[in-house]
Amino acid sequence: MESKLFPGTLDSLDPIRQYVKELSQQAGLDKKATYRLTLAVDEIATNIILYGYEQAGRSGDIQVLSELSDAKLTVIFEDKAIPFDPTTKDLPDEEDFNKPLEERQIGGMGIWLTIKGVDEFKYEYVDDKNRNIFIMHVDPTKT
Amino acid sequence: MSFFITSEVKKVAIMTLSGELDSLSSREFQAEIEKVAAESPKDLVLLVENLSFMSSAGLRVLIFSKQKIGPDLSIYIVKPQPVIVETLEKTGLHHSVNIVDEYSF
Repeated sequence: MESKLFPGTLDSLDPIRQYVKELSQQAGLDKKATYRLTLAVDEIATNIILYGYEQAGRSGDIQVLSELSDAKLTVIFEDKAIPFDPTTKDLPDEEDFNKPLEERQIGGMGIWLTIKGVDEFKYEYVDDKNRNIFIMHVDPTKT
Repeated sequence: MSFFITSEVKKVAIMTLSGELDSLSSREFQAEIEKVAAESPKDLVLLVENLSFMSSAGLRVLIFSKQKIGPDLSIYIVKPQPVIVETLEKTGLHHSVNIVDEYSF
C-alpha cells in the first residue's frame, strides 16, 4: 500500500487532488471517474480540515493510503480529527434539490457528491483514527 | 417610414473564473460576490470556460449570492465544462441557474 502525508490545512487540498489524480491515471480511470474521485476526496478532506481539525481547535495530518488490486483503486484517508462518520449525515433529497436557491440548505452537498461520485464509500473509526475509504472500480484491461 | 426603438438598462455583474474552485479559493469568490452585491446587480454572469474543478464550496457561494443579492438575481453560468455541469445537475442547482453558451442582455 502506498502512503503519503499531508498537513490538515486547506492549502493541502490542491496537492491532495493532484496526488489522487495521478493515482487515478495510473489505475487507468477515465476522465469522468478521475474527476468524481478527485471531487470526493476534496470534499472529505475539506470536512476533516474545517470541522475535524480547525473548528475543534485541533491540528494534525491526513494520511493518504492507496492500493490498486482486484480491479479496484482504493484510497484511504486516515486522520486524528474528531470522529465524524459522513455516512450518518442527513443528506439533501429530491425535495431540497427542487427548492429555489435562496431556500436551499447549505451543507450536506459535499458528502452527497462524494457518495454519489465514487463506486463505494465506507467509513470506520479504528485506533482513534477516522478512516474514510473511497473505492473506484477499474477496468483491468486498462492498467 | 417606420422607426422602432427599445432600450433597457440593467445592472450586470460579470466574473471570469478559471482554474480550480475549492474551499480555499471559494473564499475569494465569496469576497468578490460581497463586493458586487453592494451594487445590487440583476444578472450575475460567470464565465467559467476555463474552470476545471468546482467543489461544493463553489455551489455554496452560488447559493450565498442569491441569498445576499436577492431572489430576483438571475445567475448565468457560461460555457461550463461537462464535469461541472454534472455537479450542478447532481445537486439540483441546474434548476436555479441558467447554463448557457453565451450571455446576451
